Amino acid sequence: MKQLYKMNRITWLLVLIAVMTFASCKVERLTPVAESTKDISGDWTVISATRNGTDLMSIVDFSQFKVSFKDGKYTLINKLPFLVSNDGAYSFDDPQYPFKISFTPTGKTAVATAFTYPIVNGIRQLTLTFSPGCPGNTYVYTFKKAN
Amino acid sequence: MRSFLHINIKGRILWGMCAAIIMAIIITCCSLINFTVDQPDTAVVGANTTIKVQFTYHNIYQSKTQSLVFGFLAPKGWATAQNAKITYTSTATSGIGNMKLMDPAAIEPQSNGLSWSAAMKKKFGIGGNLIDDMEWVVYQSDVSVVTSNGGDISVKLTIDMKMGADGNNTLCKLGYAVAETSDGLHDPDGSIDKDPGVKYEYFAEMITPCFQLTGGPGDIVDFCNPQLTSYDPPKALDNDFITITYDGTVADTDLKNPAAVYLCATGNTADGKSITVCEQTAKTKLTQTTSNSNRYKITIWPRKFFGITDAQTLTNMTYYITDATGNIKVGYGNTASPFTYTFKCK
Repeated sequence: MKQLYKMNRITWLLVLIAVMTFASCKVERLTPVAESTKDISGDWTVISATRNGTDLMSIVDFSQFKVSFKDGKYTLINKLPFLVSNDGAYSFDDPQYPFKISFTPTGKTAVATAFTYPIVNGIRQLTLTFSPGCPGNTYVYTFKKAN
Repeated sequence: MRSFLHINIKGRILWGMCAAIIMAIIITCCSLINFTVDQPDTAVVGANTTIKVQFTYHNIYQSKTQSLVFGFLAPKGWATAQNAKITYTSTATSGIGNMKLMDPAAIEPQSNGLSWSAAMKKKFGIGGNLIDDMEWVVYQSDVSVVTSNGGDISVKLTIDMKMGADGNNTLCKLGYAVAETSDGLHDPDGSIDKDPGVKYEYFAEMITPCFQLTGGPGDIVDFCNPQLTSYDPPKALDNDFITITYDGTVADTDLKNPAAVYLCATGNTADGKSITVCEQTAKTKLTQTTSNSNRYKITIWPRKFFGITDAQTLTNMTYYITDATGNIKVGYGNTASPFTYTFKCK
């Protein structure tokens, strides 16, 4: 009889542990995190540049060239061949998932180009592909934000 | 005896396997023989020029239905795809057939996903031409033909073309390649010789000696001979970066391998202005590629180099290569005339 009582105590204890264990679980309700709007405000400098696949960094001084984005406007500082030649406004095809960026020089028509915005070694980069001269000559500039 | 028999059986299996492997290799083999090209040495810009190409497919093993493939290497400026008409007759088809442009999306079977044009450029290069402004334009027959076991198909191609769509007086080496769609540019393995000294090939390629196109209003573009100066990219506008290379090894000029040489240039604009930049400074300096190489390079952005306004465009520039004093000048072909570079895309 005493043994039976012992068993019961153990059984009750186990049931109690089980109830507590299950009660501790809670259904987590996940809410999707909204993709942030891509903000490229700031001054960007060229860290790599190619012309038809050939490196340009070693033969052209890109150190003074900057593209400055602010409040939907862009400014070209110390100009070099680029998608556009004059300052103006810029916009994305989709602010959250942009695939294209459009540059509209003041008083002229918009020019759009493929746009990638990867994070490489913890640094946000901006890569643009364009042909400022002959359509057969393709340039790829990769920018990073100036410090 | 038992042991001998045992070895004998193994040998049979071995021979059988070898035969099967050889057969497997031969199955896709279609060799190309008697490849000839009848091409003039010269032609006039814009005039109709005819080139005749002949070859024979010799199929060795299995019957197959496939299309004839033909590649033509020519300067990009000729826009071959728009300006050439290629017809064919063959012993396997009746009448005159048309070679149609290969679908750009069609993949050459041996190249891991390259288009036919890209695969030919990878395999054959640009035929020994010195300026990388050539293209392989690829065609296939409008109908497929059956190549029977052991059968020959002789093909005659006729290329009718207005050469020199860019108007340039050109010296270049033209290239011709033939293959078929099933095994493409398969590497020859040399193991399936027909007769002693004759190798079966899966494709055939031929580069002809330097061809000359004259009578055009454009520049002289020489793909065949090394030039004192060359450009990268070959075609550019004033808003491109242009790399000019001066190669002092091409001719015995008055510039005797100096440490640096300089650009003395005049830019001509569409509104009739001439801007001369003739100074011996960092702006005009061509740096030697390696010491004592006698080869020098400069990369310029012409719009900035000549300081033109937003409203102006450059149509061409003429230039000399000078020494550090500016007194020694080298011009086109080592003469007193300047080099000319025209800003254009075609």
